[in-house]
Amino acid sequence: MENILSDPSPSLSLPLPAPQGSLRWRRLAPLGRRLLSVLLTLLGLLLLTFVIGRVMPLDPVLAIVGPDADKSTYEQVFRQLGLDRPLPVQFGYYLRDLLHGDLGHALLTGNKVTEDIARVFPATMEIATLAILFGACVGIPLGVYAATRRGTLADHLVRVVSLFGYSTPVFWFGMMGLLVFYAWLGWAGGAGRVDLAFDGLVPPASGLLLLDSAMAGEWEVFRSALKHVTLPACILGLHSMAYISRMTRSFMLAQLSQEYILTARVKGLSERGVVWHHAFRNILVQLLTIVALAYGSLLEGAVLIETVFAWPGFGQYLTSSLLLGDMNAVMGCVLVVGVIFITLNLLSDALYQVFDPRTRR
Amino acid sequence: MKTSKLLRRCALALALCGTAGASLHAKTPDDQLVMGFSMNNLLTLDPASATGNDVVEIAANLYDYLIELDPQNTSKMLPGLAENWKIAPDGRSITLNVRKGVKFQSGQALTAEDAAWSLQRVLKLNLALASPWKAYGFTAGNVDKAIRATDAHTLVIELPEATDPKMVLYTLATSVSAVVLDRKKVMENEKNGDMGAAWLTTHAAGSGPFALADWRAKDVLLMNRFEGYWRGPAKLKRVIMRHMTESQSLRLMVDRGDLDLASGMSAPDVEAMKKSPDVLVQPVRRGTLYYVALSMKNPQFADKRVRLAIRSLIDYEGINASVMPNYGVLHQRPVQMGLPATLPSPGYKFDLPAAKKLLAEAGFPNGFKTTIRVLADPPFINIATSLQATLAKAGIEASVISGTGNQIYGAMRERNFDILVGRGGGGAEPHPHSSLRALVYNPDNSDAAKLTNFQGWRTSFFSPELNQLIEKAEVERDEQKQTAAYQEAQRLYDSQVGAIQPISQMVDTVVMRKDVRNYQGHPAATTRLREVFKQR
Repeated sequence: MENILSDPSPSLSLPLPAPQGSLRWRRLAPLGRRLLSVLLTLLGLLLLTFVIGRVMPLDPVLAIVGPDADKSTYEQVFRQLGLDRPLPVQFGYYLRDLLHGDLGHALLTGNKVTEDIARVFPATMEIATLAILFGACVGIPLGVYAATRRGTLADHLVRVVSLFGYSTPVFWFGMMGLLVFYAWLGWAGGAGRVDLAFDGLVPPASGLLLLDSAMAGEWEVFRSALKHVTLPACILGLHSMAYISRMTRSFMLAQLSQEYILTARVKGLSERGVVWHHAFRNILVQLLTIVALAYGSLLEGAVLIETVFAWPGFGQYLTSSLLLGDMNAVMGCVLVVGVIFITLNLLSDALYQVFDPRTRR
Repeated sequence: MKTSKLLRRCALALALCGTAGASLHAKTPDDQLVMGFSMNNLLTLDPASATGNDVVEIAANLYDYLIELDPQNTSKMLPGLAENWKIAPDGRSITLNVRKGVKFQSGQALTAEDAAWSLQRVLKLNLALASPWKAYGFTAGNVDKAIRATDAHTLVIELPEATDPKMVLYTLATSVSAVVLDRKKVMENEKNGDMGAAWLTTHAAGSGPFALADWRAKDVLLMNRFEGYWRGPAKLKRVIMRHMTESQSLRLMVDRGDLDLASGMSAPDVEAMKKSPDVLVQPVRRGTLYYVALSMKNPQFADKRVRLAIRSLIDYEGINASVMPNYGVLHQRPVQMGLPATLPSPGYKFDLPAAKKLLAEAGFPNGFKTTIRVLADPPFINIATSLQATLAKAGIEASVISGTGNQIYGAMRERNFDILVGRGGGGAEPHPHSSLRALVYNPDNSDAAKLTNFQGWRTSFFSPELNQLIEKAEVERDEQKQTAAYQEAQRLYDSQVGAIQPISQMVDTVVMRKDVRNYQGHPAATTRLREVFKQR
């Protein structure tokens, strides 16, 4: 009898365990590739912004010295800003400082760009987060509602409201909102993040005034901040809501026409169960993408709403810096926006795996 | 059934919000002034480099000047930190007696040494606001000797070049660079030999009636009353300046009483506010001029007949009647209104037949193509649109290029424009020299000279005759002769058809609640708030 236990054929030999090093590398390789891709993206963004900033016809020196400065003052400030150096050298210095966490000083404020962004970004984050919550919490149910009542009056109404919300200029909404809810009804706070009487009362721990005032137990400040943020957040949210409801309706219609939905109905499941436990679950991943992208756009700063409501946010800061030719501030903001979108993409990817088991390995 | 229940709940929630909202509405406090205006041009609080009108009013309340100008009659000088002053008989030096007993907000005593050091600092740093002082011949090299304190309360200013000493006094009264800094406090915060420039960007070290409490750029600036102010504490406890650019938001907030005062509103909103029973509208005339500038580097505009034609193609009355209300008043002279030397209006009008005849004589019977550079904001863009339409009637096809101040005035500084609608021309000092120097004077027309601070150079308008007349008038000590010389300069400018045609003198319109008292806008923007209070 052939001793099948001795001298087995090489094809039957058990694979040797892989060396520890290569296993670790195989696990880390995708992460490493992703990190490299992120870094290259950010570097590319910065380089492109830098080049555009130097090429566009905006003179930061003029912004500082004013239009009536003489030649010697102009040249002095030009040198002080390092603009006399070759462009690659300027970019090199910027990258060197960036690696030390220094984004330079802003012309607009005289402060460090990191300090400015730490001040203005939470203001935008507050308004954007409330806006996306409003947009998603109202837009998704509306979209589902319209999809399940296709062709009815309700469906048409939802579509008209969405179209109106999406097409109407947001600054018009802002002005009308101020006129109706602030000037006529007195329900909303006016411009700014909080009533002036409460300004500076709460130490800025996170920069999110609602959170900081709640943590400090300053409920009067909290109510005032809520009153001020509600209207601009709702207006921004309206725009997001319109988009989200239209996309939700579209995704749901695609799902509700699938055969498995017919099967579920035939099986005797309730309509609510069919819609929410079956159809809706299958569009969650797509909705996540839509909501993440919408949130990212809001976090970039809605400069028009910030202007109408005198909201000291990221959008205003970036726009003002751009118009001044303040490239330190602009590049700092571009970096932040880049990181936001990358972070949101990563978060979305992680959540895909939660909502869709098929994407799990 | 479910829907109606939902709707009832929503209605109840809204009603509750309304009630809660109404009870939370906070009107401005009785002892605090809340102002809303654009602080877009407020980039720094350093008196050596802060440009733009935004910072002038702030500096006038954080700091003291040696001299102040009467807001009702800007030719009248009033004592500030200087109790009195003397001009030497030869006009080459000024001696100012700095009052005793004044303290800075830090508690430090204010002396003439601080005043001298503050002015010396401006020249040594050589930033934006050194320009007016350099025009008088001061340099970083000579300023220590030329501006010095001979004792704790005597400041001597020796003029390096012959000039009208009254001009220097006016500059001491109006330029932000002339405020007196707390030298000790500033130098405690000096870094790398910057004389405190980085620190002063976001801080203040003055003796004024208000002390800087906080400044968040593009958000809010807070000033608290300085109890130890030498004139006695200000009537208001606090001043809050809020950055707001949207005119209708300003209007709504003033109407609701959430702002006491607003400026920079658009003309339609100001007109609407005039109808409100709770609001007062106060026009403040400034010395700055709106103008149409032609570049004489362009061969067409180098021809006097073409410039004369363009002068006849501006609808002065139409622009001032329809576009300029609340922005400016009709004025056609290169010297601001209200000065003894200012000639009466020449009465230029829109005259199409005359313009066409001149263009034909100049060899452009069918007109030509050109461009108009202008700021994208009203009223500039509206003036440019009107000009474009009237030029077109004579066959001149002008395309409008709009942009930011940086882009438009940047192009002007490079001498890279055809026609430009702008605003400028000195005028902070109530002296003809201030306007003529800014708008007309051009000592060296070469490209290499890069005299970008002279609008005469920017437009390539070069008249040795006019230069001499302006220089002569500047040093003339006899007032009547000086006035006559400035008037002759204006006539000569007219006859030579200068490259800059003023069309309107700037008016800044302030809208305030009726309970705000003693607010008097200053033509030089040095509006003081120490006497302002609210009648409630």
